[in-house]
Amino acid sequence: MTELARPELVCPAGTPAALKSAVDAGADCVYVGFRDETNARNFPGLNFSRKELGEGVAYAHAHGAKVLAAINTFPRAGQPQLWHRAVDDAAKAKVDAVILADIGLIEYAARTHPELRLHLSVQAAASNPDAIRFYAERFGIKRVVLPRVLTVSEIAAINPRIAPVETEVFVFGGLCVMAEGRCALSSYATGQSPNMNGVCSPAGEVRYTETPEGITSELGGFTINKFAHNEPAGYPTLCKGRFIANDKASYLFEEPTSLNTLAILPDLIRAGVTAFKIEGRQRGRAYVAAVVQAFRQGIDAVLAGRPLPDIDLDRITEGGKQTTGAYEKAWR
Amino acid sequence: MAQGQARTAAKTATPPFSPVLLLGVALKPVRPQLLQPIFDSMLGIIRRRHPDILERMADYADKPVCIDPTDLPFVILLDPNPEEPRLTVRREIDPAEVAATIHGPLEMLIALAEGKVDGDALFFSRRLVIEGDTEVVVALRNAIDGAGIDLIEDISQHLGPLGRPFRGLAGAAIGLIGRLRDDFEMLRSSLIAPAVKDVDAQSARIAALEGEVKQLRKAARRGGAA
Repeated sequence: MTELARPELVCPAGTPAALKSAVDAGADCVYVGFRDETNARNFPGLNFSRKELGEGVAYAHAHGAKVLAAINTFPRAGQPQLWHRAVDDAAKAKVDAVILADIGLIEYAARTHPELRLHLSVQAAASNPDAIRFYAERFGIKRVVLPRVLTVSEIAAINPRIAPVETEVFVFGGLCVMAEGRCALSSYATGQSPNMNGVCSPAGEVRYTETPEGITSELGGFTINKFAHNEPAGYPTLCKGRFIANDKASYLFEEPTSLNTLAILPDLIRAGVTAFKIEGRQRGRAYVAAVVQAFRQGIDAVLAGRPLPDIDLDRITEGGKQTTGAYEKAWR
Repeated sequence: MAQGQARTAAKTATPPFSPVLLLGVALKPVRPQLLQPIFDSMLGIIRRRHPDILERMADYADKPVCIDPTDLPFVILLDPNPEEPRLTVRREIDPAEVAATIHGPLEMLIALAEGKVDGDALFFSRRLVIEGDTEVVVALRNAIDGAGIDLIEDISQHLGPLGRPFRGLAGAAIGLIGRLRDDFEMLRSSLIAPAVKDVDAQSARIAALEGEVKQLRKAARRGGAA
């Protein structure tokens, strides 16, 4: 039997404390962002200053882990300076790679920092060999983070066609059900989007109101959901809103649910994926530690030929529900 | 304002039956001002050991937050102004005084501050209730989670030579609370067992009736179509 390659476990960190938690829990890589709109988790009180990034890189490297800087929003037309500075400062901090989405920013990084390793963000929505090869041939992209729309067999088919470009796939966390990097729902309701401002459903536009029937969530003045008492809640995003159509209130796009691929890890490893990514830079240290430990154990078990560990992550999932999403496309 | 009126979400954020709830009952006659020195010391320790919290909250300096331990008879007002932060204990707070309010049982709020539980998960499970300006709550959660607070370690360091005995006492107290919590849970289960049995029976009956209604509606639609 062919020996399985050991995939990297790529973990989120929204703060220096979360970075340490991830490294201590067994992360191979930690991905982070600056405290501004250059990354897709530009949330209040979150992310790294330049000094914190330098210290984080030193801590990770001292413990044998890598740090990736997500600079994965799209620069405003005619004002790319903030994004250019982010790439420059990430290179200066000696990060192991930058994760980029905008083609102009990728060109800047490739030209200005030829030694800097480039990863293509999921926000670039490159989901076929032609698109991936284009980025690799033109700009030297070394790894692509695949959009969450492909089945395991489709990923297995892509891998040999784009070699030596590596693939990274999401294995746990929040799900984007739209074309990533192109979703305008948040922008429609609030004027701000993850693509341009680094924030989907900005907290400043969210209101929760307790009523005798339960809790009502609003985004940008639109009521998007009502949860009865004791009903698990989800993120206040339009794609996970509950709307009335044909006199029936239901989740038209996606229910509040989290991706969890622990059960199909062997299939993803056999598909030749290089890195497994955990979503959730906006989540706390407790989430980071729990999910990283679970996937560390899962990957190590598969590689050692042991059965998958039975780890319950229900308590940290959105809406208390889990799915394998498009990897299995169970709805087909 | 009558006592408790400030707790606009108190009706839905029912405190769990726990040793802390009992402590809360015992503390009811105590004037909050008597507890203020404890919160002044805590703020001093946090400012010294975790200055990054206020730095991350710099954009929200003028947005006070009410922290409502639902099992205690008082609330805490956090004024995050980096120049002059304040942590004030009060019997009640008018919601108009604050930008946002966070409701939850004390033990859960402490676990959240120490990064032992995930804030989003608590919110999803409805154990944590927030009201008002969500942005300032998210900023505070992120700032505190990122600080790496360890209350016992932080206080021990502050106490100098008394830190070691304090650690021992705190460890013993945590153990005692844990055992009491188990006992309280047993008592609670025992007290509500008959009610739970009735509710289960009613739920089963409702489910059966819903099934019958569904069948009747289907039949009515078929009849209408014919």
